[in-house]
Amino acid sequence: MSELTTPEANPAVSLRRGQWRGVAALAQREVTRVVRIWSQTIAPNVVSAVLFIAIFGGALGGRIREIDGVPYSAFIVPGLILMGIGTAAYANTASSLYQARFDGFIDDPVSGPMRARHLLVAYMAGGIVRGLLIGVMILVCAIPIVDLPLVNPLPAIVAFLAAAVGFSALGVGVGLIAQTWDQQSYVGNLLLTPLVFLGGVFYSVNVLGQPWRALTHADPILYMVAASRQGMLGTSEVSLWLSLGVSVAMAVVMVLWAGRLIAKGRGLRT
Amino acid sequence: MVITTPTTPVALRCEGVRKTFPGDVEALRGVDLVVPEGAFFGLLGPNGAGKTTLIRAIVGLVIPDGGVMEVHGQSMLGPQAPAARQTVGYAPQEVSLDRFVKTRDLLSLHGRYFGMTRADAAARADELLEVFDLDDKANALPSRLSGGMRRRLMLARALIHRPRLVILDEPTAGVDIELRDELWEYIRRLHALGTSILLTTHYLEEAETLCEQVAFIRSGQIVDEGTPSGLRERYDATSLEDVYRQVMNT
Repeated sequence: MSELTTPEANPAVSLRRGQWRGVAALAQREVTRVVRIWSQTIAPNVVSAVLFIAIFGGALGGRIREIDGVPYSAFIVPGLILMGIGTAAYANTASSLYQARFDGFIDDPVSGPMRARHLLVAYMAGGIVRGLLIGVMILVCAIPIVDLPLVNPLPAIVAFLAAAVGFSALGVGVGLIAQTWDQQSYVGNLLLTPLVFLGGVFYSVNVLGQPWRALTHADPILYMVAASRQGMLGTSEVSLWLSLGVSVAMAVVMVLWAGRLIAKGRGLRT
Repeated sequence: MVITTPTTPVALRCEGVRKTFPGDVEALRGVDLVVPEGAFFGLLGPNGAGKTTLIRAIVGLVIPDGGVMEVHGQSMLGPQAPAARQTVGYAPQEVSLDRFVKTRDLLSLHGRYFGMTRADAAARADELLEVFDLDDKANALPSRLSGGMRRRLMLARALIHRPRLVILDEPTAGVDIELRDELWEYIRRLHALGTSILLTTHYLEEAETLCEQVAFIRSGQIVDEGTPSGLRERYDATSLEDVYRQVMNT
């Protein structure tokens, strides 16, 4: 057996620098998990989105032709990218955190020197990377199929980033409070997916009558889809600043909520 | 009681630590405990006495309702908590290993969670893999390890960041005699190097063999403590087990 080294051999570590090293390590762990099980974390979302583009945009889109002056096959792409980013970012953090709690290895980082904000950033990193990776792959797959003018990419980038950040944070919060696997998937399947579908991914709110039109305006996803559509296609049902404002505000609220849960030790410290 | 002078360095100090879980379950009812720096300290008590709750409170996984808890002079309950936690290593009772991470990476990541650089953590991981005879399993996932290997890996994980206080929650529970002897040997060597150790165990023979000081916890309170020989003398007992039976009224 080799010799153990003494405690005195520990190099003096600046606490703050050490905490950010912890963030980098935990974020690396989360991102590595995404890449290692890519067939579960990346491929299904990309395949689904490409099928939506091919079937709704290609096969059925011929009957719809244009919405707000844009070919239907192009009209749905920004929403599909946003849907891929949001659902993947949420699923990643919710499942990863819940699994770490369920198996007990969440205690490793939590018993270390990282504070709540460090844990939040690190866990969100996996969801953000997974979401954005999927978004880029859907875009790359869509470009040869449909004509995307990419009028002003900046609003779209802001909307995609807000979706990645906001839904990662939502997943962190749900991963902390869920008591069963079912609970964390309920939020994804029974709340998030309907909100995404009803947020104008596949249609324009302009074609809806009341009260559906008013109800749709209460769906925050609508504003993210609108901002991404404004950026990629130059058309939108909602003003640009309102859609960007709601998108960013939703992300900020989700981050604050998840941060508060971690700071209170919900699901981490009893 | 453990007698410490103002100049005695203290690894762990608990004063009046209380914790009540939902349903009015009083797990800790004012725990007072002092573990001197460099001590090998045993915490003994029956199931449900509060051992694991106290230990999880020390490492920040249970938030006490009240009391004082300091590690190396830094409070575990305030802004100093992150710095205090950095000096503690913890091996829980239940095997809880990240199923997605290979053995070497698991150790290295844990070291980095505690602030080590990537290079230092990797070097230390290799060192501990060799110490704990796990070097040929460096690239194996935890699911590919035997029960004994997982136990050794848990201990290695607790030591990766060179903590000054190591807390071991029933490290030999459910292991065979050969592995128990191996783990004892590792723990003894660790203590010989100056590391403070707080050990909980059901095995009184283990406590008698390893610990310099022991404390008995019952219903969330420390009911007595001292050196094994001092306790035997005080209770006119032939073994720590006799002392335990008298203290716990069993």
